[in-house]
Amino acid sequence: MRLLLAAVPFTALTFAVPFVNRDQPRIAGIPFLLCWIVAWALLAPAFLWAISRLERHDA
Amino acid sequence: MTATPLALIIVAVVVLGTIGFALLSVRRIKMDPQQYMVGGRSFGTIFLWVLLAGEIYTTFTFLGIAGLSYSQGAPAYYVMAYGVCAYLIGYFLAPAIWRVAKDANLLTGPDFFETRYNSRALGVAVALLWFAMIVPYVALQLSGLQILLRIAGYGAYDATASVCVAFVVLALFVFTAGLRGTAWASVVKDVFVLGGVIFAGVAIPMHFFGSPAAMIQRIGIIHPQMLVLPLGTAYHGTVWFVSSVLLSAIGFYMGPHTMTAVYSSRSAQALRRNAMLLPLYQVFLCLMIFAGLSAALIVPGLKGTAVDQSFLLVVQRYYPSWVLGLIAAAGSLAALVPASALLLAGAGLITKNVLGDWLGIATGDKERTLLTRVLVLVVAVLALLFWLDAQRTVVELLLLYYNGITQFAPGVIASFLWKRATAWGVGLGIAAGLSVAVPLAALNITPLGINVGLLGLAANIVVLIGVSLLPFSRPLRKSP
Repeated sequence: MRLLLAAVPFTALTFAVPFVNRDQPRIAGIPFLLCWIVAWALLAPAFLWAISRLERHDA
Repeated sequence: MTATPLALIIVAVVVLGTIGFALLSVRRIKMDPQQYMVGGRSFGTIFLWVLLAGEIYTTFTFLGIAGLSYSQGAPAYYVMAYGVCAYLIGYFLAPAIWRVAKDANLLTGPDFFETRYNSRALGVAVALLWFAMIVPYVALQLSGLQILLRIAGYGAYDATASVCVAFVVLALFVFTAGLRGTAWASVVKDVFVLGGVIFAGVAIPMHFFGSPAAMIQRIGIIHPQMLVLPLGTAYHGTVWFVSSVLLSAIGFYMGPHTMTAVYSSRSAQALRRNAMLLPLYQVFLCLMIFAGLSAALIVPGLKGTAVDQSFLLVVQRYYPSWVLGLIAAAGSLAALVPASALLLAGAGLITKNVLGDWLGIATGDKERTLLTRVLVLVVAVLALLFWLDAQRTVVELLLLYYNGITQFAPGVIASFLWKRATAWGVGLGIAAGLSVAVPLAALNITPLGINVGLLGLAANIVVLIGVSLLPFSRPLRKSP
């Protein structure tokens, strides 16, 4: 479960990239591909935080 | 644009100031090998943060990312993606490595292999390989420094001499201060580098185009292909992107200095907290991409290795020399501080694993600290000579470094996941990985657009598993 949670942002930044390799739509003027990567960089801490909560719950 | 030394003077003041500050911070610390090499295993969030982020914020943040954005655009996004993926792996891997290091009192990266696989030969072999990768990587930082100093001197001064002086000062600093000094210097470095990055990515696009979005609008009209990756197996295409992100993310914690940074942590929890927060740091790299794209519009037409200078040339041409001085100072710290961590790791593994454990020289605490210090100077001189001799091929040797260090990952990870992995399997796996990745990288062959380091990694894993299952290699593995 913990590894699965980490796999979500990991996959988004690796294997999913060929499928989001587009310029449009731009968000706030930033090309879509760059938005995607920045968004997952911002979301990754949230996923890791959730994992750490699960660990504390298990312990 | 006159040849004023003001910018160079600012660089010198900042670099010397940083070193002085770091020396003051460690003046009351008593140095033993634990303290000198892994900071007494006492580092909390801030020191770990700067040491583990230092890998990404090197001179290549300043030169390489902007250069890649300048010449090709979207492929540069890979740096942000791999950093985040590296921390996703590190959240699980780093605390596990730390636990082993703490329990067995490890000092260097090769110690890990020696302990987990109960094989001194493997420890020594890994130490020598790691050392061979450190020298070109340090030399690479020197090349970055040379570019910075040449531009900061407006081309009027001989940068090679300044690089030598700066580097000797640095080596003496590492000699005195050890890892704790490097950590203090990293704190100052990160403040300067972040300032420089924000200036580059926000101030430059706003000055010339009104906003970063307006700058991208222009790029979208003039070079629309730069905003997306080339398709599939094309040069720097999507296949390259995915394989490079995977390779770099797996290799991230495998730098010899990154291993010691993990050891230096106070607790496993500090490493987890760092891995959780460090992805946010990656977002700033976006700004260097903006800087590179801006430079593509402002100073178009640079070719070859000159693209690495693109954003600095914009600063040199359009901003006063004190701005250039501060930016070049940030870049110089970004070259020198990671180089100091590498010098320390390189000297440490030679003292501990090769001279100490293998040849039985200087095994006491006092002698070991002294020998490590002397070796810091030796490694520094080696790197300097290497750099003076082979300035042009250094970029190719960066490939060797990244392809190389990643080959240590299967051995580290297998030691946690697979009880039957043996020293023979790990050692021959590393050999197989290197002999696939290095020649392909040197010849610039990229089958199907895949990053060759990943092919080496595949060969490595196959050999690791195959050889570990052979009967003769079984007894070496120590029960965990």
